[in-house]
Amino acid sequence: MARVKFLCDVDRCIDCSGCVVACKEGNHVPVGVNRRRVITLDQGKPGEKSISVSCMHCADAPCIAVCPVDAIYQRADGIVLVNKKTCIGCGYCFMACPFGAPQFPKGNVFGARGAMDKCTFCAGGPEEDFSAEEKHLYGQNRIAEGKVPLCAGMCATKALLAGDADIVADVYRERVFQRGSGVNAWGWSKAYKE
Amino acid sequence: MTNSLNDIRHAKSMIFIGSNAPEAHPISMQHILYAKEKNNAPIIVVDPRRTKLAAKGTDYVRIRPGTDAAFMLGLINAIVTNGWEDKEFIRTRVSGYEEMVAVAKDYTPEEVENITGIPASETLRIAELLANNRPTSLTWCMGGTQHHIGSSITRTFCILQLVLGNMGKSGGGTNIFRGHDNVQGATDMGILADTLPAYYGLAEGSWKHWCKVWDVDYEWIAGRFKSKEDMSKPGFTLARWYEGVLGEEKIYQDTPIKALVQWGCGSNSNSQYTRVKRAYDKLDLLVIVDPFPTMAAVACETDNVYLLPSASQYETSGSVSSTSRQIQWRNKVVDPVHNCKDDYQIMELLVKKLGFAEPFYKNIKQLPEDITRELGKGSLTIGYNGQTPERIKLHMENWHTFDVDTLQAIGGPCDGEYYGLPWPCWTEEHPGTPILYDVSKSVAKGGLPFRNRFGDEMKYEASGRVENQLAAKGVCNPGSEVEGGYSEFKDVVPGTNWKTDLSQKTIKDAIARGMAPFGNARARCVVWNFPDQVPIHREPLHTPRPDLIAKYPTFKDKPDHFRVDTRFESEQKPDLVKEFPYVITTGRMVEHMGAGAETRSNQYLAELQPEMYAEINPRLANDLGIRDGSMMTVESPEGAKITVKAFHTERVDEKTIFLPYHFAGILQGKSYADKYPEGTAPYVVGEVGNAVTNYGYDIITQIQATKDGLCKIAKA
Repeated sequence: MARVKFLCDVDRCIDCSGCVVACKEGNHVPVGVNRRRVITLDQGKPGEKSISVSCMHCADAPCIAVCPVDAIYQRADGIVLVNKKTCIGCGYCFMACPFGAPQFPKGNVFGARGAMDKCTFCAGGPEEDFSAEEKHLYGQNRIAEGKVPLCAGMCATKALLAGDADIVADVYRERVFQRGSGVNAWGWSKAYKE
Repeated sequence: MTNSLNDIRHAKSMIFIGSNAPEAHPISMQHILYAKEKNNAPIIVVDPRRTKLAAKGTDYVRIRPGTDAAFMLGLINAIVTNGWEDKEFIRTRVSGYEEMVAVAKDYTPEEVENITGIPASETLRIAELLANNRPTSLTWCMGGTQHHIGSSITRTFCILQLVLGNMGKSGGGTNIFRGHDNVQGATDMGILADTLPAYYGLAEGSWKHWCKVWDVDYEWIAGRFKSKEDMSKPGFTLARWYEGVLGEEKIYQDTPIKALVQWGCGSNSNSQYTRVKRAYDKLDLLVIVDPFPTMAAVACETDNVYLLPSASQYETSGSVSSTSRQIQWRNKVVDPVHNCKDDYQIMELLVKKLGFAEPFYKNIKQLPEDITRELGKGSLTIGYNGQTPERIKLHMENWHTFDVDTLQAIGGPCDGEYYGLPWPCWTEEHPGTPILYDVSKSVAKGGLPFRNRFGDEMKYEASGRVENQLAAKGVCNPGSEVEGGYSEFKDVVPGTNWKTDLSQKTIKDAIARGMAPFGNARARCVVWNFPDQVPIHREPLHTPRPDLIAKYPTFKDKPDHFRVDTRFESEQKPDLVKEFPYVITTGRMVEHMGAGAETRSNQYLAELQPEMYAEINPRLANDLGIRDGSMMTVESPEGAKITVKAFHTERVDEKTIFLPYHFAGILQGKSYADKYPEGTAPYVVGEVGNAVTNYGYDIITQIQATKDGLCKIAKA
């Protein structure tokens, strides 16, 4: 199997936060911890744009490189996971992450942060698949069930795509190709007067 | 909706006016964006706010609240002036056209600019865009209706589509998105104050029809009313029921309202909310049936409230009607939890206690399938009779066989049928009607002409012209026995018509002859029994442009309007704007739903939108010394005043304040959070925005005018 990827099509994202709520509700993420967020630029102005962001499960993940206790690891399919029992909550991964993905549930200014939490691509954690402990610490394991992550499954406009990178790329490629191919196809009214 | 959400995929252009789909109807956006992407269809957004839909749109037009009719008439005028109207469609399928054009011609681009604030060049540009990209799908929502001329505004939308010839066509139509998953069903079942289920009205014949369906003696029902006159008299509306309690306005019934049942109704969506609250306190009895305690449950401070916890949609089953007129079956996921009961049980227990369960439950043995069967049997006006529970369930089970573009099943057990059997579905063999008024298909295959309802001929008051109201010769559905217009069917079974013949012989005969049971007529631009026979612009009751009142005055005051007087002329005070200089308008946010009792009780939605706020343009805010994130007051001409957080944004212009209406639990600074039964307080409470929405109601429907009032604001 190829690696998995996320892709958010900004032309489609409507800033509804359906992905955020699906993630939290489905994985029982505590209030204050955001595995996924929708970012909006130029709100209320011409050119307003939104994008849904979480851990991108990077190829050469900087969080793995900086983790002093090797709590973060990457599966063969590219999914980056954290072992919460090993994590010491130092926060180095947060500094290293280009997307601001790592979350620290108990964070306050001087106190211990608690184990890092982040998007699991709905693939649970290092514990046994579908075990109570896995569910408690990491939430659902939809990947083991053969399903896409909840956020993408819930997306109203299918802006957020997730899964096998080749398939995600195919879906997006087809979408790009399809744009302007229908009844008002670009150039048609000029080239072929009705 | 005349078409369906999916059919928008075929649009060559889309215009949204008073609709903000990404916040109110996010699911619809997949079809809207599909049309934009695949067809290069422009998305034209007409709104006082630069909304999230405008962010996804191609063309944004900022309009002054309440002036939608003027803009539409301006577009119509521009289209007609340039000869872009669909002449053949108008000649064959539209009536009162000349009379309408005579009115629209006064709305020149310059006059439209004066009224709406939309530059004259924009009106011309949008008109040309629509003319060059047909068919257009036109969508409006509450933003189009909640005005004192809401019924006129919505008619101008329809007339624009007639002029462009966009009705009865795939990719066209007037597509009004309903706000909840079963609002279409609720409307169809007659939740309005002036009709029995399925738009039968309240006339004696209507009562007799439904008594036959229910198998209940008409005289017995009539005997339960004070008089037969009372039986046919429209009741109070949702917008103004509290007038019947308060006794502050003259009411047209013998006694004030003493008891109220609010069933699945979040009351803080009512305007004039401080008066609503006083009415709760004055009632002898208030019963609230809801999964969550609503604002009414806590706002009412006298000892008269009963809360009946009802089950959520996941704890019950039954048929629901979507915005696309599709009927679907909702399956129960879990049994009702805690001490709640589903709505059927609550209703049955109530009816039993009241002592008339025996006559009313004759047809209902197997809940809720029998309910669907009974309502279908009676709702012939809108063709609910073909959708049996068995057929609906078969569609749900074979979902995968339906085409996403056409909604038609390709093979499988539902072959050729349209998903959800969109009404009218005339018989148990009918495939449903995916697009209303489409004469390209036979009636038996889901086609339909325009309905003949108000006679075959009309003499117009304005012009004195007499016009045949039936469709022109040659225009009919394929296979029609009559090649052209024809009247509605009656006396096939003597003494009945297509709406009241419960044997359904009339309907079946019509379809066998290739004809629509309700006739084949023209769509009317002139409605003789409305105060404005052709819709025109009238200035909002509380207007920021008093200079326009002389030319565009409101109506005369209306007595006995749903049992209470409604002020129009006497309420339109030109000086009001001096003290209340800003326009106040309301709307939805995606995280919360309706009155918010449910969504504010969800921790994750509460986290995303934890606070009531007012949108204010940064320039206006800075001029008044209101900093972003600081508190500000909003005060209505009726004397209500709320204190909310200021949210600087250029979504609104410098004259407009926007409030979301989902918040409750605080009214004019007073918190009611501690009044919720233990453990049921929502995570988020906030000022009720509708405390400061103004007086004002539509002349026909009496819907509240919450989109174009006035207010004053200050730093708190």
